[in-house]
Amino acid sequence: MSSTQRLFSGRWSFPGVRNPAGRRAGLPFAAGFLALVTALFVLCVPFTATAGSTVPNAVPPEGTYAGKDVPQPIEFPHDIHAKINGINCMYCHTYARRSKVAGIPPTSKCMGCHSVIATDRPRIKQLTEYWEKREPPHWLKVHDMPDFVHFTHEKHLKRFVFDNPNLPVEQVSEVCAFCHGDVKNMTVAKKEKPLTMGFCRRCHEANNGPFDCWKCHK
Amino acid sequence: MSLDKMKRREFLKVLGWGGVGTTLAGCDMPTTVTVQEGKEEVVAYLAPEEYVIPGIGVWYATTCAQCGSGCGVHGRVREGRVLKLEGNPESQVNRGKLCPAGQASLQAHYNPDRITAPRVRRNGQFEQISWEQAFALLDEKAGPSSGLAGDRFAWVSDTVSGHQAVLLKAWMDAIGSRHHYVHEAVNDAVWRAVCRDMLGDENPRLRVDKARVILSFGADFLSTWGSPIHNSTQYSEFRTAPRGVLIQAEPKMTVTGASADLWVPVRPGAEGVLALAIANVLVSKHHRDISSLPAEAQEQIRAYDLDNAARITGVTGEHIIRIAGLLNERGPSLVLAGASAAGHARGYDSVAAAMLLNIMLGNVGKTLESSAGFPFPQLAAKTGGNKELLDFAAALESKSFDVVFFSGTNPVYTAPEALKLKDKLAVVPFKVAFTQFDDETAQQADLVLPLRSALEDWGTHVPAAQPEQMQINMQQPLMEPLYPETRGFGDAILALLKLRKAPQYSAYDDYYAYLRNAFAALPAALKLGTISDQQFWTRAVQKGVIEVGAGRGNLATRVVSFTVAEPAEEGRPFTLVPSAGANLRDGRYANLPWLQEVPDPISKVVWDSWAELHPSAAAKIGVKTGDRVRIESEHGAIEAKVYIYKGMHPDAIAVPLGQGHEAYGRYAQGRGVNPLKILGLATETKTGELANHATRVQVTRIADKAGDKLVKLGGSEVQLGRKLVATVTADVFARTEGEA
Repeated sequence: MSSTQRLFSGRWSFPGVRNPAGRRAGLPFAAGFLALVTALFVLCVPFTATAGSTVPNAVPPEGTYAGKDVPQPIEFPHDIHAKINGINCMYCHTYARRSKVAGIPPTSKCMGCHSVIATDRPRIKQLTEYWEKREPPHWLKVHDMPDFVHFTHEKHLKRFVFDNPNLPVEQVSEVCAFCHGDVKNMTVAKKEKPLTMGFCRRCHEANNGPFDCWKCHK
Repeated sequence: MSLDKMKRREFLKVLGWGGVGTTLAGCDMPTTVTVQEGKEEVVAYLAPEEYVIPGIGVWYATTCAQCGSGCGVHGRVREGRVLKLEGNPESQVNRGKLCPAGQASLQAHYNPDRITAPRVRRNGQFEQISWEQAFALLDEKAGPSSGLAGDRFAWVSDTVSGHQAVLLKAWMDAIGSRHHYVHEAVNDAVWRAVCRDMLGDENPRLRVDKARVILSFGADFLSTWGSPIHNSTQYSEFRTAPRGVLIQAEPKMTVTGASADLWVPVRPGAEGVLALAIANVLVSKHHRDISSLPAEAQEQIRAYDLDNAARITGVTGEHIIRIAGLLNERGPSLVLAGASAAGHARGYDSVAAAMLLNIMLGNVGKTLESSAGFPFPQLAAKTGGNKELLDFAAALESKSFDVVFFSGTNPVYTAPEALKLKDKLAVVPFKVAFTQFDDETAQQADLVLPLRSALEDWGTHVPAAQPEQMQINMQQPLMEPLYPETRGFGDAILALLKLRKAPQYSAYDDYYAYLRNAFAALPAALKLGTISDQQFWTRAVQKGVIEVGAGRGNLATRVVSFTVAEPAEEGRPFTLVPSAGANLRDGRYANLPWLQEVPDPISKVVWDSWAELHPSAAAKIGVKTGDRVRIESEHGAIEAKVYIYKGMHPDAIAVPLGQGHEAYGRYAQGRGVNPLKILGLATETKTGELANHATRVQVTRIADKAGDKLVKLGGSEVQLGRKLVATVTADVFARTEGEA
């Protein structure tokens, strides 16, 4: 354990905060004081029990966030697609396994199905209008990262899905839910996870992810 | 506590906490600064190409248009935006390398000061108009109905080549004007004139890689002279075993000078004498035969013996003997002469003396090769110098023009104040500027037409300095235009041509259509290996270059009549060296913050001008680094902060080109001074080029301005015994690592 990691682990020794790695470490007085103050910060972050993860070989990240409703040009129902019809997340967000971004599906992909399916519904009519105008909808970003953070979907899917022999790819939504929440049960996506550095860091620690500063800040 | 109200002390406190805090809990505080929900738009593709993956770049080939060298570039395009440029390895000009100015063309493209719509001057104020209105105005002023023709028109441009040059010539022919002035403030016009006269080839190919010793009289060939990236790639070969020796003689150390094994400060204007003195030693000590040279040349070589030469040039006899020795022992050599040798009244003669060394040493045909006739003369680069600026100003004085077009050049900035170009332009009834930026020249124009950036435009380019395998470079747009109300340069000229030659050019909707047609008409020899015009086009666009093949030719050697002169010591005590650097060049890159931010390789100064002086000269005036001085010529004065450096001749003061813009956007404007402004109008006797290294100036110390400091990265110029660069003596090296 490096000295930095030792410093991190100190925080876990305070009551009320779970230590997923089960470590306990003694603290010198000064660091203890700092940790006490910072722990007060931590306690302000609303912690709730994480949904029981079914992803093997993974400790899901902790933390929730009460995101606001983001009005989208078309009220896209994730639940109908992912839950009722059981469409794999990566069918539409096809770039997630290849690129740093998961990608909003191109309009042509929507029309691949919806030129024949449910064409009479108001939302589909709206979509068809966009398609006929040759203009993609201008969606609003729900999950945003600061520009100084390099996050890549590709590497995370590799670690938790493709290099994870015990997780069938059909269950990828469990992995997506780590950071995106229970999108399956939402219509328009809403931010459910804090996506703060602490959130990332705890997960990296619990899952033995890379810990160098430059892995994310490059 | 909001961020904008945070005081420095509080900020430091937070920062202090952050040291521990970020690792503990600070990182759980949502950063309201950057993480946003529902603020940014995210727009998917409508129907993407299969190879397009958001987040992953696709590289496209195009050509850098920052200078006339014509380096091939690859641009990384992601989500429809170009993000990074690198050299194109397929291009023999730059072989995958790219200079900082090339990298910074991104900033010319995304520059916030770009002009986004046409403007016309009405009652002294600029008003925004549409392209239709602009062309209606052009039709009125320059179309057939204007009643104007022929030499009432002039066009002032930078170096043009490829199909843009063809169209530009077609337009000049259509209006019947012979007044196309190609103005380049930083140029090698005198060198080209000497090559034309003595070698029969204006642009002989330099073989830096084949030379074993290079003697350069102020030719900054690694940074601003000729085709710097091409020269640099050859230079790396020159420096690998057996390691070539570089000798640089100049009044102000350039980047090339800083790389030299032997750097010789030569008195400004005495380069020709130094060349002849070296020739003298080659004859007297190394018994080189000069009987085949004309009597006049022989006589001059004999005239400059060591004592005489040392007195005139300020270079010690010892150094002259050493240089001659190196040139004699290690063949083939290459002798070059650049701006500081050429920019004097007898600049041509100095360059001719340098060329005489090439002839004496048998370099012609070895390290100077024939450029072997590029097969498409109409596409070849049309380049120029300062003579064209002087000619243009003279023509303005005789009120020759009714309409003047400007493109790619900024003569109002580069012209010396003494030329009074602004006043002379004022009498021209209609001035049109094709430009991306609101520069000094655009501000004098009556109609300003905004061009697309080089990364949004189509074109072909032919490098002035061709590599051994000659090529035509392809320029293609790397992304959609940022501003819909801008037009490509080719499109603009095509639209002009339609005013006069509609039947001939109306078949082309745009410049792209013209290019496609022109490519179909290229000879079959270029299209080997392709089965259709479409495939040829696709290959050209993919590779970024069209290979024309190698030509072989022979250079002539003819020694012209020349007379080197001792520089006259008149009037003011210092000679002004307006030195060009790779960062800002002639000032055209001053609006690119990356290049303002890159420290000058010699002085390490950023975002400013400075005046470079030798320590002894500084002592004479009584100034130290950072003090302000006033540099006064017959034609005006500039003020700058002193930078003291040993790489100067004590008689010279150097002020870098590029700053001192009165316009040209937020990054360029009101920063530093422009030494070109105080130049005299003396010309080089034989070529008529501006003798821009011959202006004499008076330097006096003036009071410092409060808060005006010389901002310079890098603390000291010496190692202070820290052994940052380890050295060993030749003896030790021979014993430990040398050949047995």
